[in-house]
Amino acid sequence: MYPTDFAVSMNHVTKVFSQWQRDNTKAGMIRNLLKPEKRRITALDDVSFTIRKGEFAAYAGPNGAGKSTTMKLLSGMLLPDSGDISVLSLSPQKQRIQLMRRLGILFGNRTELWWDHPVIQSFEWKKVVWEIPDEIYRRNLATVIDLLDLGNLLQTFARELSLGQRMRADLGMMLLHSPGIILLDEPTLGLDVVAKRQMINFLKKINKDNDVTILVTSHDMDDLEEMAERILMISSGKIAFDGSFTELRAKTGNLTRIVVTMEKGCFPELEGGNLLSYGNEVFEYDMDLTEMPVRNLLGQLSTVRGVRDVEIKKAPIEQVIAGLYRDWNFDKTAGSGNI
Amino acid sequence: MAVKKSLRHIMNLYAISAKMDLAWLLRDTKYALAAVLSDTISNLSVISGVYLIALRFGGIGGMSVDEVLFMMAYSTITTGIFILFGSGNNLHISRIIGRGQLEHLFMQPLSLKMQLATSGFVPFTGSGNLIMGCVILAVAIHRLHLEISLWWVTLFIIYVLTTMVIIVARSYLVSSAAFYAPVAAEEISTAAIEGTWQLSTFPLSGMPDFIQIPLLTILPEGLMAWFPSLCLLGRPPLHLTEAYPLAYALLLALTTNFVFRKGLNDYVRKGSNRYVPYGFRR
Repeated sequence: MYPTDFAVSMNHVTKVFSQWQRDNTKAGMIRNLLKPEKRRITALDDVSFTIRKGEFAAYAGPNGAGKSTTMKLLSGMLLPDSGDISVLSLSPQKQRIQLMRRLGILFGNRTELWWDHPVIQSFEWKKVVWEIPDEIYRRNLATVIDLLDLGNLLQTFARELSLGQRMRADLGMMLLHSPGIILLDEPTLGLDVVAKRQMINFLKKINKDNDVTILVTSHDMDDLEEMAERILMISSGKIAFDGSFTELRAKTGNLTRIVVTMEKGCFPELEGGNLLSYGNEVFEYDMDLTEMPVRNLLGQLSTVRGVRDVEIKKAPIEQVIAGLYRDWNFDKTAGSGNI
Repeated sequence: MAVKKSLRHIMNLYAISAKMDLAWLLRDTKYALAAVLSDTISNLSVISGVYLIALRFGGIGGMSVDEVLFMMAYSTITTGIFILFGSGNNLHISRIIGRGQLEHLFMQPLSLKMQLATSGFVPFTGSGNLIMGCVILAVAIHRLHLEISLWWVTLFIIYVLTTMVIIVARSYLVSSAAFYAPVAAEEISTAAIEGTWQLSTFPLSGMPDFIQIPLLTILPEGLMAWFPSLCLLGRPPLHLTEAYPLAYALLLALTTNFVFRKGLNDYVRKGSNRYVPYGFRR
C-alpha cells in the first residue's frame, strides 16, 4: 500500500526521454532517413523525496532539470520508467480519476478556462465535471472571489483577460473542488509585481488556513523563498539539495551584500569583497561572511575615510542559486571527462 | 446505484455542454447563426449535387431518384449526428493529440471515453443538419411509399449507429499516427473524415466491382450511406448480408481500440514535446 503519512512520496523514480538528433547536411538527412539518431535524456535519475501533508515546498532547478517532468508524473500525465509514486496515498498512474478529485494542478503557461466564455461559465463547467456539491461550490466560489479579487472578472470572456487576470481566474478555478494538494508549475511566469504579490499572498493563506499541501516550481527564487518553507533542488535529474532556504544559503557560504555610501570623491577598498556595482557614490559588494566575519568587516569599514552609510543584507537567493548551478554544471562537465 | 449516479453525471455533462452552446449562440448570435447556416449550406450542396444528377438522368445506376433522395437523407442525418456530438475536436482527436493537449483531459476526474463522448455536444448550433436530414428522410419515405414498422425504425437506428461507429473509429484509427508524429499528423483526422466525404454520398450502384468492393473494404465510403440505404430499402448490394456493416464496424472498432491504446501508452511513456495553447476548448 501507499504511505499515508505523506502528501507526496516519490521512491527511486527514473524517467528517461529520447530526443531526435539530426544535422542539416545532405549526408545527415540521408543518414536520418536510414537510421534516425536519438539521444537519451535522463529527466529524473533515481529520485526519491517525500512531502508532508500541509507542507509548502518549492521545487527548483535550472532549465531542463526535470521540474515539469516531476509535476507531470505526480499528476498522472506521464508514466515513470521505474520507481513508485504516491500522491495523497493514491497512485497517479493507476488511480488518476480518484486523484484528480483531490488534486489541483496549474501550469503557468496553460489555461483551463474556456476561451470563448465568461470566467463564471468555466467555473460552472468545473462544478459539473468535478461533481462539486452546491454548498462547497458556493463557499469556495465566495472565497476565491474575495481573496483573488475576481468579482469584476467573472462576467468577462477569458480571451479578454490580461495574463495576471487569467492566472488569478485559473487559480480560482483550480481551487473550486477544495483540493488537498496543489501542484503549481511556474505560476508567477510573466506576472507583474502586483499580480505576483496577490498570488503569493493567496497561496500562503490557503496553505496556512486550509492546510493545503503545495508544491511549486518557479524560476524566480525570491518568490519561492517568500512562499515556501522548504526547497528541493533538482539538477541533471537528481535531487541536489533538500532543506530550508537558510540551509541552502549556508551551503554556498554566507553570501552577503554590503552597500556602502561614500562622500563625494571617496572610494572604499574592502578586503575580501567583490565589487558588483557603483554609482552616485554608492558601492555594492559581494562578500562571504564565513571568510570575513562581520566583526572584521566593521573593523575595516571603521578605518575607511568618507563612509556615510553602510547596509549589510543577505545576498539575493538568485545569486546563491546561480552559484550552485554553476558548481553543478562544473561537476557534471568534470564528471563527463570533457575537462 | 453506481450506474444511476454515473448516468446522471453523463446527463449533467451533456447538459452543461448544451448550456454552453446555447450561451454561445445567444451571446454571439450573428456569428453562430452564420456558422450554422454555412455548415448546413455546405453539406446540402454536397448532397444536392448528387440529387440533381439523379434527377437529370432519372436515377443513378439502378437507384431511382427517390431512392437517391433516401440515401441523401441518410447521409445528412449521419453528418448531422457527427456535428451534433463532434464539436470541440473530440472527434478530430488527432488535433488534440498532435497539439500535446491530452494533458488537459488527464486533469479531469473523468475517463477519457466519457470526456470525449460528452465534450463536443452542441444541440443548439449543431443540430441543423440532423433536422434537415430528418425532413428529407420524411419526404423520401413518403415518395417511396415505404411501410414503416417498429422493426424498420430499429434497423434504421442500428445502421445509423453503425455508420457513426465507422466514422469515429476510422478517425481515431488514423489519429493514432499523431501519437508518433504530432506535427505531421495533427490534421490527419480531418483528411480521414472530410477528405472523402463527397465520395461517401455518391450512389455506387451500377459501378464495376473493382470500384465497389474497395469502397466497402479498404475505404468504408460505401458503408457511409449507400450500403445501409439499400439494406433499409430491402435489397443489400453485391449479395452481401445485411449484417456486413455491423461486422465491418465491429472489426474496425476493435482494431482502433488496439491501435489507439498502444499510441496512448506510448504518449504517457514518452510525453509530448509539443504544446499548442489553443483548440482544446470550444
